[in-house]
Amino acid sequence: MVFPTATSAVPTVLRRKARRSDEIWSAKRFLTPTLVLLVLVVLFLWLSSLTLDSIELRTLNLDYIVARVREHLGLTVVASALVAVLAIPTGILLSRTRSRVLKAIVLGIANVGQATPAVGVIILLAIIWQTGYLTALVGLVVYSFLPVLRNTMIGLQQVDENVRESAFGMGMTQNQVLLRIELPLAVPVILAGLRTSLVFCVGVATIATFINAGGLGDMIVNGLKLQRYPVLVTGAVLVACIALLIDWVAATAEDVLRPRGT
Amino acid sequence: MTLDLNGLLTFWARRWDDILELLGEHLAVVAVALVIAMVIGVGVGMLVWDKPLPRSAVITAAGVALTIPSLALLALLIPAVGLGWTPTVIALVMYSLLPIVRNTVVGLREVSPAIMESAMGMGMTPFTVLVRVQLPMAWPIILTGVRVAAQLTIGVAAIAAYVAGPGLGQFIFQGLSSLGSKNALNFALTGTLGVVLLALVVDAAFVAITRSTTSRGLRA
Amino acid sequence: MPKQPNTALLQIAGKTSGALIELNNVTKQYANQPVAAVQNFSMTAQPGELIMFVGPSGCGKTTTMKMINRIIEPTSGSISIDGRDVLSLDPSELRRHIGYVIQQIGLFPHMTIAENIGVVPKLLNWSKEKTSSRVDELLSTVGLEPGDFAHRYPKQLSGGQQQRVGVARALAADPPVMLMDEPFGATDPITREKLQAEFLRLQASIGKTIIFVTHDFDEAVRLGDRIAVLSNRSQIEQFDTPANILSNPANDYVSSFIGLGTAIKRLVLIPVTAARLGPANAAASGGPKVRTTDSLRDALDSLVLSGLPALAVVDELNKAVGSISVDQISGVLGAEVPVLSPTAEA
Repeated sequence: MVFPTATSAVPTVLRRKARRSDEIWSAKRFLTPTLVLLVLVVLFLWLSSLTLDSIELRTLNLDYIVARVREHLGLTVVASALVAVLAIPTGILLSRTRSRVLKAIVLGIANVGQATPAVGVIILLAIIWQTGYLTALVGLVVYSFLPVLRNTMIGLQQVDENVRESAFGMGMTQNQVLLRIELPLAVPVILAGLRTSLVFCVGVATIATFINAGGLGDMIVNGLKLQRYPVLVTGAVLVACIALLIDWVAATAEDVLRPRGT
Repeated sequence: MTLDLNGLLTFWARRWDDILELLGEHLAVVAVALVIAMVIGVGVGMLVWDKPLPRSAVITAAGVALTIPSLALLALLIPAVGLGWTPTVIALVMYSLLPIVRNTVVGLREVSPAIMESAMGMGMTPFTVLVRVQLPMAWPIILTGVRVAAQLTIGVAAIAAYVAGPGLGQFIFQGLSSLGSKNALNFALTGTLGVVLLALVVDAAFVAITRSTTSRGLRA
Repeated sequence: MPKQPNTALLQIAGKTSGALIELNNVTKQYANQPVAAVQNFSMTAQPGELIMFVGPSGCGKTTTMKMINRIIEPTSGSISIDGRDVLSLDPSELRRHIGYVIQQIGLFPHMTIAENIGVVPKLLNWSKEKTSSRVDELLSTVGLEPGDFAHRYPKQLSGGQQQRVGVARALAADPPVMLMDEPFGATDPITREKLQAEFLRLQASIGKTIIFVTHDFDEAVRLGDRIAVLSNRSQIEQFDTPANILSNPANDYVSSFIGLGTAIKRLVLIPVTAARLGPANAAASGGPKVRTTDSLRDALDSLVLSGLPALAVVDELNKAVGSISVDQISGVLGAEVPVLSPTAEA
């Protein structure tokens, strides 16, 4: 998703040598981890104050929770890595092609894809293929492929035409222009796409429980079915914390990897 | 399982009433949520657009809400408000706030200082400038935010069926629960296609609304 | 692509000061347009010459220039640099030996100033030491302190400073030929004049063959050794020295392009010493002084601004050699151009 932002309206402070590390690791940067930590502490204290019955104890223990978190993170990370490996090169290839028709078709599919509900994709895949981890993985990849593909194409397209012409005018070949100019300048946009896709994946991985692919969704669904709210709340809070932390890591990576000078 | 087109058509013919009802519910829950989110979002945006600290606090908070996976957010609402429409509407409103507040703030801030100055120079108060000048100029950007929110919430509403929320998600989950039966695919496919169709139609409607409610002078 | 030693390219690359550029019947015809963008353009630029292409926007002047480094491929015709056919060379390698400056500058935002200037040396596999000493040398040449600027990013520079870096970057590999597309067009008038003066001084020492595109006739007069006045489809209406074009416009098109104030424009080209100076004691003491190296235009400016009837003219040693007044300036124009307007003839 691309929202118009006001960042371009903020005047750039001219400094001789920008202290990037100071800018990146400002106090604001630690807001999210602090918030997450606080929420987890509150959750822990709340759980400690309850007397849990045997059903609740079966899930509210460290082994069970660690196993679910592992499944969840595994699904998310593997799917995102696959998306990065598949969607970025596809985006580069598509932006190389001169065919406007092909580009329009791909972006059209991307838009319809964006309108497709994740839960529909996952459940349809389970019905026509099988349930389980592999299906969930395919669903996640299919679903988060589009933001990365689209951002790769947009990132390459938005490189200033004059910068590109200068690069050719100085004698760079097509590949040199791509590797030294276009890709470095597209990095922030591509990373923003990857960040969106990571957060998507955390969310869609929650739904993976519907098709027996594990993850923290299990806790939410079990808690709901068995009317055990502590279980439900623990699962939901953990997923929310993971989503926030992953978004935070990605945002930090965006700032660290952004080419200097831009 | 493979798709039987005749079977699907028969399914549609037989359940036409249900499909229309769910489609209507889906649209209704999204519309209710969007209206509430617009009132809150535009209002908050008008309050904070020129105050840096509250502005960034509000946008950060809305961003946090959007990051929380939908099933988790819906689940967290159940102990407090129970099942059905209520948690669905609350969750959809929370997801809608970020695009709407952010675009409101951006739109209000984008009005050029020259225009603001000449409005003040004619004797308008800051509030009049906000309502008579900035808001109309920011309108297309605000509507874009609502449009993004609409796409988002139409998809999320499909999951809300799991907490007994209204809409086409019910068909999708019915497909899941009847996994193995011959109607499973028909249910899930109808639900999913219905959501896609609704999203595309609503998006087209927004293009038309944006066009007809934007001042002629602002149209590109 | 098989890499074979390209003697033609080496020949061009080996030169550092001006090369001979020849364009012969060069035509650019776009497939979806009824008329050619450039039609049968022929011209020769002598080594070390600064040629100005001047014409209204859309006349094809930029297209013509961009065919020399093949950013735009000609449809037909031939282009050669020092007798070597440009169209038979690998375009990327060719461009590494042609300096290129555009109005929007196109500095790479993610590279420091030093890295920007070092792009072509890097493409040519220069050593790190050679590149960095060249970068420092060029920054000094364009008047930017290397210690201060080398590690800044483009957005930390003003427009005028960025444009200087653009010129330095084009000069990095000491190419014999430079192509410049309205390089000073986006700067404010004061910065532009400063950049123009610096550029003239620079060109006097490096002597490149330069094709310089502009729509500003005054700029063309100020900078050019020769000016090509172009009309639609890049047709050459007149190709001559600034002085000759001003005194003898070839046709109405050229006259209208020169516009009003021909006499004033010509003054830029004539040194103060061309006037018959008055006695040194005719100038009121204390007024501004005019140097013998100044143009008559400078002298006129000083006269008008000071409001004095005559000003002292001094040589390099600041010794008064005479005085100058408006009458004496008119005298020079009168001698060179007997008739400025047809009505005066009667």
